[in-house]
Amino acid sequence: MTYDLLIQGGLVVDPLNQADPQQRDIWISAGKIVSPPTNPETRALRTIDALGEIVMPGGIDVHCHIAGSKVNAARAMRPEDHRDHVFRGGAGLRSGTIGSTPTTFATGCLYTALGYTTALDASIPPLTARHAHLEFADTPLIDKAFLVLMGNNHFLMDRIKAGEPQNVRDAVAWLLQAAQGYGVKVVNPGGVERWKDGAGAVVSLDDSIDAFDVTPRSILTSLARAIDELSLPHPMHLHGLNLGIPGNASTTLDTLQALDGHRVHLAHIQFHSYGEIEPKTSLFASRVQQLADYVNTHAGVTVDVGQVMFGETTSMTADGAVGHFLARLTGRKWVNIDVEMETGCGVVPITYSDKNHVHALQWAIGLEWFLRVEDPWRVALSTDHPNGGSFLTYPRIIALLMDRSLRADVFNSLPDKVKSRSGLGELTREYSLSEIAVITRAGPARMLGLAAKGHLAPGADADLTIYSPHSDKDRMFSMPRYVVKGGSVVVDAGEIRPGPLGSTLIVEPRYDPAIVPAIKAWIDRDYSIQFANYPVAPEDVANPRFIPIV
Amino acid sequence: MTSEALPIIELANTPQDRRRIEDVPCLACGCLCDDLVVSIEQGRVVALESACELGRDWYQARAIPPLPSPATMAGSPVDLDDAVARATLLLHSSHSPVIFGLTKTSLETVRAALGLAETLRARIVLDRSPADLGRVSAFQEKGRVTATLGEVKNRADVVVFWGADPLRTHPRHGERYSIDPIGRFVPKGRAGRTIIVIDTKKTATAEKADLFIPVSADRQLESITALRLRLRTPLENKTASPVDPAAASFDNLLQHLKAARYGALFFQTGPQSTTRSQALWEAMSSLVRDLNESTRFVLLGMGTPGNLPGAEAALTWQTGFLQGASYQKGHPSPLDDLTTLDHLLTSGEPDSLLVMSDALPRNLSARALNHLGKIPFLMLGPGATSISEPLPAVAFATSTVGFDAPGIVMRSDGLTLRTRPIAASSLPSEKDLIQRIHQSILNNARSPS
Repeated sequence: MTYDLLIQGGLVVDPLNQADPQQRDIWISAGKIVSPPTNPETRALRTIDALGEIVMPGGIDVHCHIAGSKVNAARAMRPEDHRDHVFRGGAGLRSGTIGSTPTTFATGCLYTALGYTTALDASIPPLTARHAHLEFADTPLIDKAFLVLMGNNHFLMDRIKAGEPQNVRDAVAWLLQAAQGYGVKVVNPGGVERWKDGAGAVVSLDDSIDAFDVTPRSILTSLARAIDELSLPHPMHLHGLNLGIPGNASTTLDTLQALDGHRVHLAHIQFHSYGEIEPKTSLFASRVQQLADYVNTHAGVTVDVGQVMFGETTSMTADGAVGHFLARLTGRKWVNIDVEMETGCGVVPITYSDKNHVHALQWAIGLEWFLRVEDPWRVALSTDHPNGGSFLTYPRIIALLMDRSLRADVFNSLPDKVKSRSGLGELTREYSLSEIAVITRAGPARMLGLAAKGHLAPGADADLTIYSPHSDKDRMFSMPRYVVKGGSVVVDAGEIRPGPLGSTLIVEPRYDPAIVPAIKAWIDRDYSIQFANYPVAPEDVANPRFIPIV
Repeated sequence: MTSEALPIIELANTPQDRRRIEDVPCLACGCLCDDLVVSIEQGRVVALESACELGRDWYQARAIPPLPSPATMAGSPVDLDDAVARATLLLHSSHSPVIFGLTKTSLETVRAALGLAETLRARIVLDRSPADLGRVSAFQEKGRVTATLGEVKNRADVVVFWGADPLRTHPRHGERYSIDPIGRFVPKGRAGRTIIVIDTKKTATAEKADLFIPVSADRQLESITALRLRLRTPLENKTASPVDPAAASFDNLLQHLKAARYGALFFQTGPQSTTRSQALWEAMSSLVRDLNESTRFVLLGMGTPGNLPGAEAALTWQTGFLQGASYQKGHPSPLDDLTTLDHLLTSGEPDSLLVMSDALPRNLSARALNHLGKIPFLMLGPGATSISEPLPAVAFATSTVGFDAPGIVMRSDGLTLRTRPIAASSLPSEKDLIQRIHQSILNNARSPS
């Protein structure tokens, strides 16, 4: 065996395999972590001296928006957002622009420069999956995957109404394969269809989606069942009802109860944790405690936070109704794209200000989530990039979690009305390095069912990050000394280097081929393209890597 | 549509067997109909089912041209290797190159060409009209409420063609997407839709419409603005005289728009200056946004031949700038909204031009042509070696995406389709050639000079 790389003497933070950080060597061969050689004379082709450094698995973003028609619409609409925010590239690296929605080359490089080695785009319609794959082919260095939008799919809603769970399951599997996707995303189930059709917003689980005679509840439970039966590595990834609407915490709790017994990942839970509006103040209060209590006592539930960070960004969602709501609220420019038979899309610029009571409360509510979920394996760090803020803010969020005085400095500067509506001020918990490694690496890998990622035992992908310890955690996590991706050193002594493109992670669940004629008849009847031209072709996918279904 | 009138299309380099290729996307007009069925016997297309007249013409025009020279220098046929070496030298020694075109080729070609542009520190100007640039600027000011064409097919009960005449320019648009199809929520098809045409004169589409409203070219903007005002003003407060026929027809129009369950407005400005086009698209985007206060309404364009949307998309995801980009500083920066090839050449600054298209840029001014005559002019694309006026210093003939070259293209509503070539080609594809030239330039840069 040729040992390509030895990471020597680092303090290894590998929470899946060891409770506490330990000093040990890591040997790498052919892109994988391997057992140390038995012969003490053995040398690796390259040795990185990590003495005094901190070694973690590569970061994994379980929920972001980095590719496809929605992200590209934001880039196209907002040159002012990145005109003066340049990514220079360098020898062997393509350049780009940054802003809230970085260009493809910049996205791959900037994630890498933060020590992240895998990112999951959370919302791609099957119909536009080919476009997302084309952008992935231009997104270097990191592994990529996307979730396929299914919560407002006409064919699925028809099968749900007809009471055909087996056909729902087979169609879910067929759609995943047609898109070459990784998992199932459900956005405002039924609600996007209802809004597209001009019937207004869905507000409760039992509202009827009239044209289809289904309800958000029946869509949710049917899809959750299909996903469980298919044994997909990632559970239903849910953007629930009433995103951003005061009073939505009760809907969120209803949703969790409706899904009891199923696995579910609640995305950007911060945006779904608000109390009822108080008429006097037009404000609402945090309801994180109540929801976190539920999460803490139900093992099948995981969340990512969707932390809001103050500053300029771009909101983007498959929830067309939310896009319209934000466009009316802000009066700013607005892209909406209704996607036939499948979903919606809304893109609106947004500026989060610490002077704005709602924004400040959203900031506090997000941090409450990190601190109130007792088991860090159940909560992942996200900003719902770029919705709550760019992924480039992750180091600052880590710093806020590790240092309660830093948190207090910001919290105390917020308006009193905000402070009285969030319990953040009373939360003294500080994250340890191991816990940070859980919410940014090991936890997301487990949520995604990626057995070869998020840890550093032999057999794992050789994706890892080496940080130099620093009291300023923002600085420490912003500037890894080394990043190794698939065994290649892609950040070397602080400098980003050219490396492999990275893989596209895909699942290929089996389905009964008897479903195909019905899908073909539906596509040929309703879509504006032919059935034969609908699925993504194998050659459309850059470096596919099939994740086994176990 | 049938293939009755089809003259037999001879194909070069095509196997002599009998083949039937289904679900073929057609790049002729921008509809990107993907249901063509091409039957080939003994190297000839003998049937072209589902194609409209424009589609048949598109295939016919690409059939069996006299086999072009793969490469020429100053008009003389040369070995491809020599031409690549010459192009390498010319582009590599250039300090201010411009790459123009890219709208009739695949997304893969555009991606490759942008890579070359970065290496060359070139500016990229897409082959699009001033009116297109206005559409882009308006998008960046206002955004747009829009939809894929299947939404129009399935939902739209009111369809407005403003300045658009699909029966003439996009013959199957109405049949497939906007006028006739039976949709899930439009079960009666044509009978379930109100078709409205607004144009300067009674067009072919207007003849078949339920309502036609003439609006002269110079009153477009005023009309859109007036509609917005009327939409916001309760009818009883209107100041316009009820006997004003224009006002009456606009009130009628407004009633139709507001009564729509799901309305779709297809907008085409016609030839316009960038500024004028921007103003029109901004006004129309605002009108459609306003209509969404009371119902659902979407705004779409008609699409143009080839793959302009794909070129715009790849340009955006690689550079961030839909309006055109420059790599002169070694990283992307936006071109001025008004930048056209003519402006750049007229400035006298570019010191080489690589055109990637099937034809020369249109309507270049005398000053632009004068400058073009002084700098290395390279051309790469189908038919490039047949261009003689002005004569390229180096030209490369390529296969054609969608005819005898593979590749992905994007429809005007953002859907991507993989094309299905119906013939083989002895010529390299645009993508392969660009990659080869790019590699040659990189090798050249590394080797000691």
